[in-house]
Amino acid sequence: MMDMPSFLFYIMTFVILAAASSVVLLRNPIHSALALAITMITLGFMYFGLEAYFIAGVQLIVYAGAVMVMFVMVLMLFDLKKEVGQVTKGTIGALMKVLCGMALSGIITWAIRYSSISTELKKPLQNPAEQMAGVKILAVQLFTKYVFAFELLGALLLIIAVGVVAVARSRGGTHARD
Amino acid sequence: MPEIDFTQAATITLNHYLSLSTGLFCLGMLGVLLRRNVIVMLMSIEIMLNAVNLTFVAFAHYRGDISGNILVFFVMTVAAAEAGVGLALAVAIFKRFKDVNIKLFEQLKG
Repeated sequence: MMDMPSFLFYIMTFVILAAASSVVLLRNPIHSALALAITMITLGFMYFGLEAYFIAGVQLIVYAGAVMVMFVMVLMLFDLKKEVGQVTKGTIGALMKVLCGMALSGIITWAIRYSSISTELKKPLQNPAEQMAGVKILAVQLFTKYVFAFELLGALLLIIAVGVVAVARSRGGTHARD
Repeated sequence: MPEIDFTQAATITLNHYLSLSTGLFCLGMLGVLLRRNVIVMLMSIEIMLNAVNLTFVAFAHYRGDISGNILVFFVMTVAAAEAGVGLALAVAIFKRFKDVNIKLFEQLKG
């Protein structure tokens, strides 16, 4: 009989893969966005299972909250009536792409199967200094060892904000009539 | 027929997480390759980034090293910025052509 963590893992795996397939396969972009939200939320639960509590919270707030709202708002702005030409044309080309995806998946799975690191790490290593301290350890590392990268991220976000406004505002912003 | 030890088979190892991450990444890649709607392509890119995040968190957990979680934090920020730029470009496309098909991107200029 399976124990509870494994059972939850397989349930969440099923939900994640099904929702991710729905994102790719559903014709209506709004339905794709909802399936993506399910994927993000279930991944957040999986991070809880991996004891990354802060990351799980950030996943729920930033991805399932902010990014998804942004996607849905832009979709509603567009008012896409027709669903024509949304998938690549040509059966041969599509078949080749699916084959490429499956080949990549097979190659990576083969690499995982025969790598030494994954056979060594059957059970989580318990590092006494860094377990159960979660957010505090994360914050200390972020503001000491990685502080330069952290500040660079701030600069990146500022540049992105200016750039996005510049791109979206050209020719009268989102309310252009012509 | 050999006896299967279910207690041994039931434990979730790092390989399980890596395999799930592989499947998720390839699904995202197929989405980028197959769909022509720019917004669905951006969603597929988010799926790929999330697959990589899952790998980072799984390694951080199984190695007892917090650095993976910090890298996930950075990836999330960059992913949000990337989604913002992509959606702004989609808005620019839609204003001119009333559609968000990827084939219209080649006509953007200025």
